[in-house]
Amino acid sequence: MTTRRTFLSASAVVGLSLVSAKEESRQRELPQELYNILQKVQNHLFPKGTLLPSASLFGATDFLQETLYHSSYDRDIRNFVLRGAKELRDTHKGELLNYNEEQMEKALRDFEETKMGSNWLSRVMILSIEALLSDPIYGGNFQELGWKALETTGGSPRPTSRYVAL
Amino acid sequence: MRDKYDAIIVGSGASGGAVAYQLCKAGYRVALLEKGRLIRREEFSKDELAYCRRDIVTPNLFDEYHTIEEKIDGAWVETPTFESGWSFWNGNIVGGSSNLMSGMLHRMHPDDFRLKTVYGEIEGANIEDWAISYEELEPYYTLAEELVGISGKAQPHPYKAPRSTKDFPQAPTQESAITKLFDRSCKALGVTPLITPRAVLSQDRGERLACYYSNFCGSYGCSSGAKGSSREAFIAPALATGNLTLLTNSHVTKLHSTQKEVTEVEVVNTLTLASQKLSAKIFVLALQAHESSRLLLNSANKFHPQGLSNSSGEVGKNLIFSAGGAGGGTFYRKSMKKKDFEALMQRGLFVNRSLLDWYIQKNWLGGKEKGGLVEFMFEHQNNISRAISTRYSNSRLLWGKELAQAMHSSFTQSKKIRFEIFNDWLPTDDCFLSLDTKRKDKYGMSVGKLRIHGHPHDMSVAKSIAKECEKVLQEMGAEDIYSSLSSTPPQNLIAGGCRFGDDPKRAVLNKNCQSFDTANLFVADASFMPTGGSTPYTWTIYANALRVGDMIIKVLQRKL
Repeated sequence: MTTRRTFLSASAVVGLSLVSAKEESRQRELPQELYNILQKVQNHLFPKGTLLPSASLFGATDFLQETLYHSSYDRDIRNFVLRGAKELRDTHKGELLNYNEEQMEKALRDFEETKMGSNWLSRVMILSIEALLSDPIYGGNFQELGWKALETTGGSPRPTSRYVAL
Repeated sequence: MRDKYDAIIVGSGASGGAVAYQLCKAGYRVALLEKGRLIRREEFSKDELAYCRRDIVTPNLFDEYHTIEEKIDGAWVETPTFESGWSFWNGNIVGGSSNLMSGMLHRMHPDDFRLKTVYGEIEGANIEDWAISYEELEPYYTLAEELVGISGKAQPHPYKAPRSTKDFPQAPTQESAITKLFDRSCKALGVTPLITPRAVLSQDRGERLACYYSNFCGSYGCSSGAKGSSREAFIAPALATGNLTLLTNSHVTKLHSTQKEVTEVEVVNTLTLASQKLSAKIFVLALQAHESSRLLLNSANKFHPQGLSNSSGEVGKNLIFSAGGAGGGTFYRKSMKKKDFEALMQRGLFVNRSLLDWYIQKNWLGGKEKGGLVEFMFEHQNNISRAISTRYSNSRLLWGKELAQAMHSSFTQSKKIRFEIFNDWLPTDDCFLSLDTKRKDKYGMSVGKLRIHGHPHDMSVAKSIAKECEKVLQEMGAEDIYSSLSSTPPQNLIAGGCRFGDDPKRAVLNKNCQSFDTANLFVADASFMPTGGSTPYTWTIYANALRVGDMIIKVLQRKL
């Protein structure tokens, strides 16, 4: 059982984050450039005009940012998400933010062909789905649009604080 | 301060709560030490992100972890769990993981107490009979049934353990319409469907309210008190006696002892990291099985250089899990009548069915064989995990319209049913806990190293049962039927490590779960089990802990 290690191995961040954990914990927000890249990616994964609300509507990137820097989130995975966004930025020489839908599709499918890209896209997808379907108290699932789109709801009672008021 | 408490219990899960209940009801002063916090009934919610996707009720793996040893390509490979993410913690809150259980409870069969005698030895397995019989534990199964509030229906079956009372204290919980189809299909195959006994109240009882069918039971705390957790069934009434002191955020890092008795426990406050020593007449370990062994081994001193209660060298040995696996199938709207599918989609009701037909088999794998129990249930209704499971098609990540379509279809056009097989995880020399002396946790304790190995026999049994389960699903008309069996252990079903027995050279505990080496030390959790039966352990843990509580009372009364 080496799920997480295998998942992260391509990024070579395991261990490194132990060294830089203190430094990382001081930071609470994504650098603007990486925020924009992640937003661009999430908007492509959850575009407007499907059976689901769009990433911009359900609040995917703000949720991702808050989640990554919360104390309950695995710091190795946080570093992996940041590293993947940087990789994508560098591969496309800073042009990713200017890509149209077709170019974005090709960029992400090309990235998916690499082990790291495949794992990274999967992780960003998981974070996006968490934003889509977690209780709105976490800042995603705006007006319960995610639940409504899938004809479901959360359990009762609903949380009244995030993370059981840690 | 030696006599401030009659007993100190380390751990407030299924066994700790039950022992505390017995002692407090009998008038003894008890300190119940829980490493985690108290989450009250009214504080529980169905917060999937917190309870199911983050380490909120378990330690951060960078602070506290285990080392797992698995055989890969013929060599034992160590992986710390902060690296793998494979947590071996289960619910570090008051009441332990019993707060989070699904509550499908079963008694072990009388044969399970005499596995070696009835079924014989199996090469490569360290099978031993239990030190007590089913008949000795039966009164405590009955007591647990009453106190926990297990709902169900007594039904005849040749492989059901005999009962001393006519029926369960409460009727079964409400059932999904699928049970009619399930029962009909089983009967067509000559299989006997049984109503699952469940640690969930179907009717109000005192301060505890009946199940409100929230649709989110397993992995969550219960907001009505219906679920018979240690917190609801035992700790709350023990507190009401005035004899219980509940100490939360209190982590025991060491037991101090002389040659003949335990004298104190070293307790660290997990919030302030301040430590103190507490003393009592009796000390009871009631952790998870692997953690009890770790604490004993970490408590070595000049009197007990191999670890406390380890003169036999058996502490940590013969760790067992529940073997088996899972499988399932899918019902599609397009393949069913509208009203039948809509009935299937009604939320919150239980499947409540189990099968015992393959618990014991003759001439099955070449002789009389112990088989296992099967539980049927709907796929867990967690929205995020269900949605995540739709993200791939042919190893390609879906997104955009394709993902939306797949996710929408999965949620609205289909209903998944699952089965879980529970069969014996045979004890072997290659499944045990030792200390990882190279690694220490945030409290300075040596980390527990679990070598994990499943005996090939376990998988043979599970495969045989899975084939029968798939036939049931076929008869029901399910599609996409599958079985997923592996020798990877479920980390929430751990037992063994401190076997009980009659021979101090081969067992850690006597038949009363009392240490052979230090007579004022008891281990009340699942550590005592030499074999695990083919059921989830919880009812047996509750029952045995109530029995151990009675034994401790006799010791305190100087009658034992």
